[in-house]
Amino acid sequence: MATPRLLRLGPVALVRTWVRKSLSARIVLVFLGLLLVVQGASFFAIRASIDHNARTAIAADLEVGERLLKRLLEQNAHKLAEGAALLAADYGFRSAVSSNDADTIGSVLANHGDRIGAGVAALLDTRFHLRASARADMQRLQPVVDKLAAHAGNPRPSGDVVMIGDQPYQFVMVPLRAPVIVGWVLMGFPVDQRLVDEMHSVSNLHLSLEVRSDARSAWKTLLSTVPHEAREVLQRQASALGDNAMTLTFPDGEYSARVVPLTDTDAPGAAISALLMRSVDQAVAPYRQLQFGLAALTLIGVVVFAVGSVLTARRVTTPLRRLAVAAERLGAGDYATPLGGQRRSDEIGDLAQAFERMRVNVAGQQEEILKLAYWDSLTGLPNRVQFRNAVMEAMALAKADQRSVAVLMLDLDRFKHVNDVLGYRFGDLLLKGVAERLSQQAVRNGDLVARLGGDEFAVLLADLEPASDTALTRSVAQRLHAAFGDVLTLGDHTVDMNASFGMAVWPHHAADADALLNRAEVAMYHAKRRGEGPVLYDPAFDAASSQTLTLLSELRHAVDHHELRLYLQPKLALDSGQVVGGEALVRWQHPQRGLVPPLQFIPFAEQSGFIRVLTLWVFEESARTWRMLNEGGLRLVLSVNLSTRDLLDLELPQKFEALLIKHVVPAEAFCLEITESAIMDDPQRAMGTLERLSGLGFRLSIDDFGTGYSSLAYLKRLPVDELKIDKSFVMSMEKDANDARIVRSTIDLAHGLGLTVVAEGVESQQVWELLRELSCDEAQGFHMGRPMPSVEFISWAAGWAARRAAQGLRGASDASVILH
Amino acid sequence: MPSSLRALLVLGLCLPPALHAAATGSLTVTVLDAAGRPLADAVVMLDPAQGKLPIKPMAQVDVAQARRQFDPRLTVVTVGTPVNFPNFDTVRHHVYSFSPVKTFELKLYAGVPAHPIVFDKPGAAVLGCNIHDRMAAWVVVVDTPFYARTDGSGQARLEGVPEGAYKLRAWHAGVAAGQEPQPVAVSLGGEPSRTQLVLPAAPL
Repeated sequence: MATPRLLRLGPVALVRTWVRKSLSARIVLVFLGLLLVVQGASFFAIRASIDHNARTAIAADLEVGERLLKRLLEQNAHKLAEGAALLAADYGFRSAVSSNDADTIGSVLANHGDRIGAGVAALLDTRFHLRASARADMQRLQPVVDKLAAHAGNPRPSGDVVMIGDQPYQFVMVPLRAPVIVGWVLMGFPVDQRLVDEMHSVSNLHLSLEVRSDARSAWKTLLSTVPHEAREVLQRQASALGDNAMTLTFPDGEYSARVVPLTDTDAPGAAISALLMRSVDQAVAPYRQLQFGLAALTLIGVVVFAVGSVLTARRVTTPLRRLAVAAERLGAGDYATPLGGQRRSDEIGDLAQAFERMRVNVAGQQEEILKLAYWDSLTGLPNRVQFRNAVMEAMALAKADQRSVAVLMLDLDRFKHVNDVLGYRFGDLLLKGVAERLSQQAVRNGDLVARLGGDEFAVLLADLEPASDTALTRSVAQRLHAAFGDVLTLGDHTVDMNASFGMAVWPHHAADADALLNRAEVAMYHAKRRGEGPVLYDPAFDAASSQTLTLLSELRHAVDHHELRLYLQPKLALDSGQVVGGEALVRWQHPQRGLVPPLQFIPFAEQSGFIRVLTLWVFEESARTWRMLNEGGLRLVLSVNLSTRDLLDLELPQKFEALLIKHVVPAEAFCLEITESAIMDDPQRAMGTLERLSGLGFRLSIDDFGTGYSSLAYLKRLPVDELKIDKSFVMSMEKDANDARIVRSTIDLAHGLGLTVVAEGVESQQVWELLRELSCDEAQGFHMGRPMPSVEFISWAAGWAARRAAQGLRGASDASVILH
Repeated sequence: MPSSLRALLVLGLCLPPALHAAATGSLTVTVLDAAGRPLADAVVMLDPAQGKLPIKPMAQVDVAQARRQFDPRLTVVTVGTPVNFPNFDTVRHHVYSFSPVKTFELKLYAGVPAHPIVFDKPGAAVLGCNIHDRMAAWVVVVDTPFYARTDGSGQARLEGVPEGAYKLRAWHAGVAAGQEPQPVAVSLGGEPSRTQLVLPAAPL
């Protein structure tokens, strides 16, 4: 149950699962994540920058404030100095001063002081001693005067701020000239709330005047623009005034402050400093607004991005999901439904188009595959698979109705030859022609003609009356066989085609379809072997075929257990009558069956390829025998037969050479016999093998000459030394003039080509004589000697020689007597 | 500091004890400032050790005003000498003196004032112009016939002074009121003698 399991998962795991399984979730998350990263980075960068800027701006503001304060003080000082200068330049005042009238001087000072708002006005002599003052407490001024006198010639532009009692004053001092300096006018301006208020109004900075009586005591706030309720906080923090910059914390936030000393900080005594303050919050406030705006923008951006990316992801994933469903459908084998979604012009559209093309192609290929699976592409007939299915269906139907089913199988004779001679194109045309002919002859409704492969065809006869099934099958087969009697005309060629027919009927011959087909095939091969018309299956066939199957293993056994024997049939020189050689032949000494005739296993060995083993056995055995004969004083040439398969074996020359070396026998001791048909199977390869064998020193001989189709052109080019006239010509040459003519002309032909001629099948003295007259070189036959075990050959040869010697020069006609 | 301001007297010569009463000598005085630099425009005066020598007023002396400056800036006159202040400028001047020696005021005028000012008391008077603060001049009124002004090298030569004991004093505009050194006693014989005076004069 999926839902409870999901519910058991934690929310994080749920999201993880969702992200892993959903492409759109991943797209959305990536988009949002990137946006948040970018926005977060810019937010922090902006905040840091704002903070930095604000603090820089505050510092700048405070610096400007300091300049402003100094300018304000300078202005005040200037105003004061102007007033003082005006007084000093007054002729009346100077007259009064020169008259040394203290009361007058005092009243002038008071008068002028009031005029310009100076709290203090005094006259000093040239040595800076107080001479007169507008105030009564003149002696309190003397320390101030001493301080100012220190730089009287070089006055500060902002004057000097000095405490008189609890009141700070800004003092200026100007010289009194008449016309040389005869004294100094000192004027003091009280620094009061007006100054700090004015400062606050023009700079928007808070200003506070801090004083201390000496270096050891704490600072006290004298005047301030800070509201009264915050004064205590200010007093607490300002009591330890720094040198320059400091940070103050007020109930309404943080303030940056700048300390501006108004008196010499290092001078002893009372000191006054101005404290300029700027609210950090106030400075940052406009930026905060900006930040809120940015945050709002980010929030909106996230929402817009989320919606946008969800929509975008949907646009991608929805068609993908549709395609996935469609692909599932294709996987399930539904190729008929179009996929849709190909109208989009983007990559998804391309993908949909590709899927659609795939669907169409796969559908086409599916059809093609089905066709290939059940139909033969060349002839358009059903193939073996379909035929087998049809047989099974027919059998299933027939079973219910107690009916019979027959299978006719046929195979074209010599089709390979036609293919080789006239080419594959023609072969294909021929197969089509045959298919057409069979289809035309196909008898009844429901009967099926199929091509099983190669040149093999089959006809299914279904729903047969059990009483007449074999008869009907036979008649159909006969009719088809007869149809092959007509010449096929294909293009420029007319071909006389024949076929072997096999028949099998269910349920008589087989229990199932495969067995039925197999039986029909067995019957067909039987027909082919016998070269007759249609053959109905007979259980005896199977026994024969199973016999051949066991033959191969028995042959192997025979080789391994020395059941084979080498026999030699002597070859004699016709002119001298001497033994010149022997043809090596193999015999099988079967432990149970006795001596097996060569015809019972040689053709089989050739068919199965086992002949190569036999050839090598014969060759090695011959080599051993040759040594034995040679040691017995007989120098003969032993003939060994080579088959088609031997000639096609490219390694044969090396194998022979190895055996020659092993048994220390010269190649000249052998004559290798090849039939014409063996060469003609693959002339190129055969020629190559023959040339290499000839090169090794072997004598080569054409066996059964006259029975094949060998052309003289090949004969001319072959590296042969000998021709063996087929025994069919030799045996009857004494009676048949034609055969005699063939033998004669063959001898002439061979001699013309410089070849030795050997006649086989010499079975009478007359033939011997005839051949000698025709200048045939050597003879072989029962008349002289049958094939005999090699061990008997020496004694036979000795006997022959003895008889020859006893006979002397008595005429060859007596030889037969001797021989028998 | 008064002690440091005391004048130093260095006698160039040791005068013989008995001098001929009728013989005259000369005295060359070098005036230096506190830093040892020669002081020009100082006035050196020689008073007899006892009593006073008869002097007579000089004929009228002019202290002109030209290019908004007094010319000459320093004038030495004997007591009772009338000094006139002709104005050669196109602007008017208001010449005044608050000095106790002679307090006077010539209110805005052009040309030559009708009456000269008679300086009848010894001492130095600072003259100013009420409408041109930068204008300043000094009139030194002496009551001895032996006086001289230092040149650029700070030297002043007093000639034809009869042998005897004298008090030597010097005046300079840069010396603040009340800081004048005490007169220095000198004895003059028939031979020319040299002496040096140091004045605590501030640059003008």
